[in-house]
Amino acid sequence: MNDIMQNALARFIAHAAGARGVTISDARLLSGGAIQENWLVRTKIEGGAFGGRHEFVVRTDSPSGVAVSHNRAQEFALLNAAFAAGVTVPEPLWLCEDREIIGRQFFVMRRIAGTAAGHVLVKDLKTGGDHVRLAERLGEELARIHSIRPPRADLAFLPTHDEAPALHSVKRFRDYLDAHHTPHPALEWGLRWLELDAPPRGDYVLCHRDFRTGNYMVDENGLTGILDWEFAGWSDPLEDIGWFCARCWRFGAIEREAGGIGAREDFYRGYERVAGKPLDRERVSYWEVMAHMHWAIIAIQQVERHVSGEENSLLLALTGHIVPALEYEILKMTGGL
Amino acid sequence: MRERPLGDELLDAARSVLRDELMPALPTDKRHAALMIANALAIAARQLKNGDASERMELSALEQLLSEPFGDNGDNPAALREALVAANRKLAHWVRSGRADDGTMRDAVRAHLASVARQKVAESNPKYLGLKS
Repeated sequence: MNDIMQNALARFIAHAAGARGVTISDARLLSGGAIQENWLVRTKIEGGAFGGRHEFVVRTDSPSGVAVSHNRAQEFALLNAAFAAGVTVPEPLWLCEDREIIGRQFFVMRRIAGTAAGHVLVKDLKTGGDHVRLAERLGEELARIHSIRPPRADLAFLPTHDEAPALHSVKRFRDYLDAHHTPHPALEWGLRWLELDAPPRGDYVLCHRDFRTGNYMVDENGLTGILDWEFAGWSDPLEDIGWFCARCWRFGAIEREAGGIGAREDFYRGYERVAGKPLDRERVSYWEVMAHMHWAIIAIQQVERHVSGEENSLLLALTGHIVPALEYEILKMTGGL
Repeated sequence: MRERPLGDELLDAARSVLRDELMPALPTDKRHAALMIANALAIAARQLKNGDASERMELSALEQLLSEPFGDNGDNPAALREALVAANRKLAHWVRSGRADDGTMRDAVRAHLASVARQKVAESNPKYLGLKS
């Protein structure tokens, strides 16, 4: 971030915070955002309700991104809704839709401390505090997210569909595969299974749609925040449960079925405590097949960004090579192996 | 006749230097990039070692399953891929329309998909199958 942008950002924050003045002492790009950029911004605010020193994160669009993700204004609305529902998220502060300020849309949120690295969390059982409690807590957080239900004027940009969410996903994935240059018969096998066994439309709630280890932050005491809201949408709550527990999101710690960090029952217990009703355990395995399918489709989309020449990236290129293991797992779960 | 070491052997040798000599000397924030390179070299080496034998087998299995020739023109790699795309597109259509829902067709399709999936995982991520990488 150059001086001109920093000054513009300082003026924006001063105005939004009702302050006399704002000094930015440091603005650095944080690693990890493939679709968005996150800037850590250290500020000193003079006057107003925010007077004092603060660490903020400024989240901006990146020049290229996956087409299905929300823009920053929408993500800001989602964070606000989650924050109001009692979900542990970085507190959203101010949105700037004016692209003239720093050249892109952005919003400012409070910085939360800790690490989100999935491969560390599943190996080092001290990171994130007591893991039984962490699994429970994540269940509680997810149930709070699912307490947000349509219709919501503030979330009117989220599409709603009359058909069962599972069948809607099957259709969406088939449409993608039809337009793709390479056919994937093993995924078609899984999609046929998902179609024939699809649960009817039941509870319809706000789903995070990327609620998994790697997308929440912890410190040594436990959870500090749920991140990455750009794929959220209305769906069956079990979609998030299946995504969190799916083997492909356990970072190799396959024996700990709740996200590689805890026992499934610990996670379920926390969820049920806040939801106030039992989870349909029998149905979760269906949504774990769906999770592998969804991740396979995302992986194919990501590798396409590399193969098409849009973005030369070894990380994206290698993402293509996780698809065979996902296909293998889907076949295994649907009687194909 | 090509001189040895052949392509896959060269990649294996390159990977050893990366892992044994370069990785220990790299700062921690560059380790992930080095691991990605090592992984890419390993996948490429396994594919080179297998050549196009597995894809030719896949095509002939598809032709048998679908009872239709898809015109593999001998040693032309582009034609092989084109034939595989056409045959797999047709199999995908069969599965979607329910032709492999039951009976002997289900068994045959299932066996085919399982064998192709194993072959692909063995090249992309052999550890997943419990194989030596």
